[in-house]
Formats: sequence, structure tokens, C-alpha cells
Amino acid sequence: MLTNKLVGFTCSYTPLPLIHAAGYAPYRLFPLDNSKDSAGHILHDNLCPHVKKILDRGIDNNTPEMSGVVFMNSCDAMRRLFDGWRKARPNDKAILIDFPATSDDSAINFFALELSRLWKELWEWNGRVGDLSSIKQSISIYNDLYSLFSDVTSKIRKARLKDGNLKIQELYNKASTEPPENIIPILKNLQASINSALDNDSNSVPIFLFGNVLYELDAFKLFNDCGAFICDDDLCTGSRLFYPINITEEEDLFLSLSKSIFSRSFCARTFDPKYPLKFAEDILNKAKACNAKGVIAHVLKFCDPYLIRLPIVREILKENSLPLLVLEGDCTLRSIGQQKTRIEAFIEMLR
Amino acid sequence: MMYEYFKNLESSLEKKINETPKSPNARKKYSLEVARIGKRLYSGKDKIAWTGIGVPFDILNTMGITSCFVEFVGAMLASTGASGNFIKEAENTGYASDSCSYHRAILGALSQNLIPKPDFLVGTTLPCSGGLAVIENMARKFKKSLFVLNVPQEDSLQNIKYLSDQLKDLVNFIQKETGINFDENKLKEGIKKTNKARDLMIEAYNLAKKIPSPVDSRILKDFGIVTALMLGTDAGIEVAKAYRDEFQAKVNSGESGVKGEKIRLLWIQNRIQFRYQLEKWMEEEFSASIVIDELNDITWEKIDVDDPFTGIAKRIISIPFNGKAEKRIEHLKFLAKEYKIQGAINPCNWGCRQGTGERGLISDGLKEIGVPVVNLEIDCIDQRNFAEGQVKTRIAAFIEMISN
Repeated sequence: MLTNKLVGFTCSYTPLPLIHAAGYAPYRLFPLDNSKDSAGHILHDNLCPHVKKILDRGIDNNTPEMSGVVFMNSCDAMRRLFDGWRKARPNDKAILIDFPATSDDSAINFFALELSRLWKELWEWNGRVGDLSSIKQSISIYNDLYSLFSDVTSKIRKARLKDGNLKIQELYNKASTEPPENIIPILKNLQASINSALDNDSNSVPIFLFGNVLYELDAFKLFNDCGAFICDDDLCTGSRLFYPINITEEEDLFLSLSKSIFSRSFCARTFDPKYPLKFAEDILNKAKACNAKGVIAHVLKFCDPYLIRLPIVREILKENSLPLLVLEGDCTLRSIGQQKTRIEAFIEMLR
Repeated sequence: MMYEYFKNLESSLEKKINETPKSPNARKKYSLEVARIGKRLYSGKDKIAWTGIGVPFDILNTMGITSCFVEFVGAMLASTGASGNFIKEAENTGYASDSCSYHRAILGALSQNLIPKPDFLVGTTLPCSGGLAVIENMARKFKKSLFVLNVPQEDSLQNIKYLSDQLKDLVNFIQKETGINFDENKLKEGIKKTNKARDLMIEAYNLAKKIPSPVDSRILKDFGIVTALMLGTDAGIEVAKAYRDEFQAKVNSGESGVKGEKIRLLWIQNRIQFRYQLEKWMEEEFSASIVIDELNDITWEKIDVDDPFTGIAKRIISIPFNGKAEKRIEHLKFLAKEYKIQGAINPCNWGCRQGTGERGLISDGLKEIGVPVVNLEIDCIDQRNFAEGQVKTRIAAFIEMISN
């Protein structure tokens, strides 16, 4: 379903296939740095710069026309963004969807009900009644998108193609703001021409990159320039965006979608209480799996879910002789640029 | 060390209360029960649990578990003047100085092995992401089982059922972790006590609304949030009754909490926890009284003893910090009107994404009903950053403004 009608979203837990199936193109509100810094009168400076920059865009009307915005109640900052958005743009349609912090059966069932609530709301915004068969079609499209991203990313990273990560991020950004139908042909072309498209870079140091929001292409260029090759990532604006969605004829579609979202890689705020801070071991395992020589964490300032768990991540990586560099970001290129010397020194140390 | 501290505090408070047995001694009785909880936590004998703020303490109390939310430790360390060292310790071990100081204080104490090992832990998504992350850290450190309550944002049938089912799972979890059998009758008795304490607290709060108010700025400090630890027990009833009686006696005799009360104030969220006589100074300088704290209110209906899990779920969801800011702001407006306040103070504890994070929305919301708010920048736990002169100047100017 190719459409120009947009519904905004701000968090990678947002169920994009539902938005798509309701007749909209999901449009990620990136924290662009080109709006007036005005969110401070609504949200305090000690809140995540990601949400404040999105709110800046909202206040500044620096957004395309949207039929509504879907917010996930995933962390304090996201909840506050919903509050701030309603204050700044009271006439916008907006919904806040609860997303449990744990992945047990009752949480999965509850989230399925929340997805059903979202589905009804999306169709209310449309003024029509939804057809469940469209969800299946959209899930199929998003599964294609996931497979293509997975294959292309894996090939680029395996071949260590120079500027490959820049290309991947560029496509992730495009896939976050445009209908999936626009991206699939581009990925297919790239998939077919991958070996000749980009140069090999065997001198760089393989790095596993994790954290929350990092979408600026210049940031990935900076990693390249500093001699790092991102051999795998776990970012809200990267590999966590798309995941396989398994559906069966017997199971409720919302339940299937809920299960799939809870089966993907989590950011720090979601966890299994049976394995506290398994998040740290997951990072270790992912870094080992891609043969990284070091790990870079890019975490936004004031992001409690990450900041409170990072010391344990550092400890686990240290025990396994994997150096960690933590970069605190504020969604501006200025802040990542200032880290250049640190990144260079880190890469030099790993050579 | 901590056990001795609480034991000494308990005996000294008992002695003081016995000196005037006919007086309600509200604050002393409250402090005595806090000391007893602290003593049990550090006794090494009781079954204990570290928890988040939104936990149903009546369920844990009736199962014989001494439990406490982790932020209490931060407040306690601040009140003894020790929080600075622990916060420094947390920062030295890699915890960001931008996060909540309540949480940094406990993480520092945790790394220095000053937190007693629990039998289990219960985290809650309410009120904040940071608190839940701290609990997860603690579960890993202690290698103890963790249960998490996911608190939905709105009071709907679907959400109440989800939470009440989780509460039943919590009971099963506690049984498994401790070997203690759940006794439905004990919970019913506990809920009766919760309801009784609730009624007495409502009476006390209604008396506090009188003009002049029988409360001074200090007597209800931290009362609502800490008394939750005593729900389901006789101690909870005893403390609530002492407050009701003390306020009733004052109202009967026409005695106000603050002599010549002129200014009535609302305190938003937490008080300053380290020793500093801000409230006394406001009383003496301006006859200004904090008659109501945001956290001193009953936002829930009496719980049906035959269906306790549903009632407790409704209670947890009703906490104004839960969910959207508009719910919290509506509650603040309600308090402002009920207590006829002239202004509100928001300390904006650094690192708190609730009190500080919502401050612009709160100020605008209260402004709609003509209640001005002064937003301070106080770290309620870390005295090292306290700019006394600046705070006093701002409050003095604020009070002067509302006096006019």
C-alpha cells in the first residue's frame, strides 16, 4: 500500500506494520538539529536530547503533514515527549501505547491488546474501519524489508566494504521516513551489485557499536575516518528497526506481532527478570560473534536505562578483554565531532 | 553499624513517647515505625525484599516480609549526612552524575556492601525507568530473584486485570522464593487494616485543609510515601491515628501549626532529605507553611476485602506519577484548590525525570488556576551542590510576590 499519508513515530518499538496496514507511511521523527532550541520551556534540560530535539521540531512546525503520531511508553523520556507534544500541538492526533519492560507471557498478551487498541485508533484517524487482511500484507512487506536489510548488511560487513556502513545507515534512515515499497527495490539493486559498488577496507579495526539513537551519516563517516569498521550494531536507529515477524493462520495477528516485537533485540529498558543484566552478556556475545576487537557505546545524555546499566557492561567486557569506549551524545554532530580524538586513540590502541 | 543505628533510634523514640504517653506524638510514632522497619531490614533475621515505589506493601507485610523501596535508602543516607560519600563512590564506579541522586546513593552503598542482602526483589515500572534499572542492578549483584510489576498507565478494565493478575503472580513468586505460604485470610485482615489506615489518613488530611491548618511544614514530610510501607499492619493504623488525633486536638483548640499562618504552600514531589531547616526558616521569616505535599493524598477507593487484588491494582494505577502528565497536573490542581494554597514549590531534584522533567508542564498547569510555582534546582539528596543563599533568595522573592 503505497501512500503519502504519514503517521509519525519516535521509538523503534513502534509496530510499523500496523501503521502501514492502516494506510499510512510510518515517518520517524528524527531529532534533527535544524529547529529552534525551544523545548526547554516545556521539558527540563535534564531530559534526553533525543526527545527534546523532536519536541523542538514539533514546536517549530518543522515536520511534514502527519495524520497523527504514535508514542511508545517505553521510558520516562518517551512518556514526557508525549506530554510535551500534546502541550505544543494540542490539535494533533496522538496516542501513547504501553510497552511492558519485561518479556514474559502476560506482558506479551497485554501488549497484544495495546496493539489492538492502536489498530482501532489508527483507523479512527482515517475515518474508516480496518481490514485485518491488510495487516498480513504489511507484515509480509516488512518481512521482505527485514530479509533484504539483513542480507545486504551481512554481505557488506562480511566483505568489509569501505563506506558500507554509511550506505546501510543511509538506507535505514530512508526506510524510517518513507514507505517500505520505496526501499525494497533499492535494497534489491544493492544486493545484486554489492561486490562492485564499494571498495574493500581491510586495514580498519572491527568494532561492535551499540546504544540508542545514532543516525547521522557524518557520525558513521567519522568512525570510518578514525579507522573503525562497524562489524555489527545494536542501535535504535539501526539493526533494531526491522525484525522477522512470524504469523500463523491459527494465532491472533496482534499476538503474533507482539511476540515478534518481544523477540527482537532489546534496548536497555527491556529485560528478562530471570537474567538480570543479561543485556551486558548479549553485548559481549554480539561483539564476539562479529569478531570485534573493541566495543563503542553511543548513549545519549540523561538516558537512565543505559547509563545505569553501563558500568556492568563495562565490567563484563573487561572480564573478557574487550575494551569499551563510551561516547555520550546529544543528537548534534558537534558532540560526536568533539569525540574524534577519543575515537582515534581508542582505535589506535586496538591496532 | 546500620542495625545499631536503627536500634538506638528506636529505643530513644520509645523513651520520648513514654515521657508523654497521653500525647498523640504523631511524628515520633511515625519515626519510631520507620526505625523499626530499618532495624528489621538490617537484623539479618527477617525475610526482606528491596522494591520499587509502586509495590503493594500490604501484600508483603501480610506474608511476613519486611520490604522497602530503594529510594528510602538514599533519603536515609542523606538525613544522616552520609549520602555525599556514597554518591561519590557511585560516580567513581561509572554511574553518570546526571542520573537521580537517590539512585546514585544506593548504588554507592551497594558497591560498598552496605545494603543487606534481600531474599528477593520486586521492581516496578512506576514511577521511573531509572528506579527499575537500579533494582535490576541489585538483583544481579545479590544473585537474587527479581519480579517486575508492569504498571499500565490508565485505569481501564483491561489494565486493572493485567495488573491484578501480576499481583497474583507476585504472591506465587514470593511463596516460591521464601517458602512462606500465602494465607488468604491474613491478606483479608491486612486489607481491613489498610482500609482503616486509609480512613484515618483521609481524616488527618481533611483536618490539614482547615484554615489555619493544624500542620506545620515539617510534620507531614515524607508521610504519604513512607506510610505506604506500613500498609496492612497495626503500626500503619497506629501512626495514621496519631496524626488524626494530633490534628483534631489542634483544630479543637484553635491552634495552628504555624503561628499566625499567612501563606499556604504546596510542595511538589519529594522534600529535601538532608538536614536543612528550610521549612523552619520559611515559617519564622514569612509565617509561610507547607500545608500539603503532592505525595500526601489518598487517590484510591477503599479496597474490597473479598477481591483485594483488583482493589490494590486500582490503587497502584491511581498514583498520580503513573502515566500521562495531565493526570498528575489535574491532581495538583485538585490539591491546590482543596488546601486553598497560594503558591507551590517544586524542588526539581536533579536527575529526576518526573519532578524536574515535567516542571514546565506543571508550572503551566497550575498557572491556569492562578497558582504560581517556583522551580528550584535542588538536589534533594546531595548536599554538596546545595546553594543555600540562592535558594533563600528565590523563595523570599516568590513569597513576596504571592503576598502581594
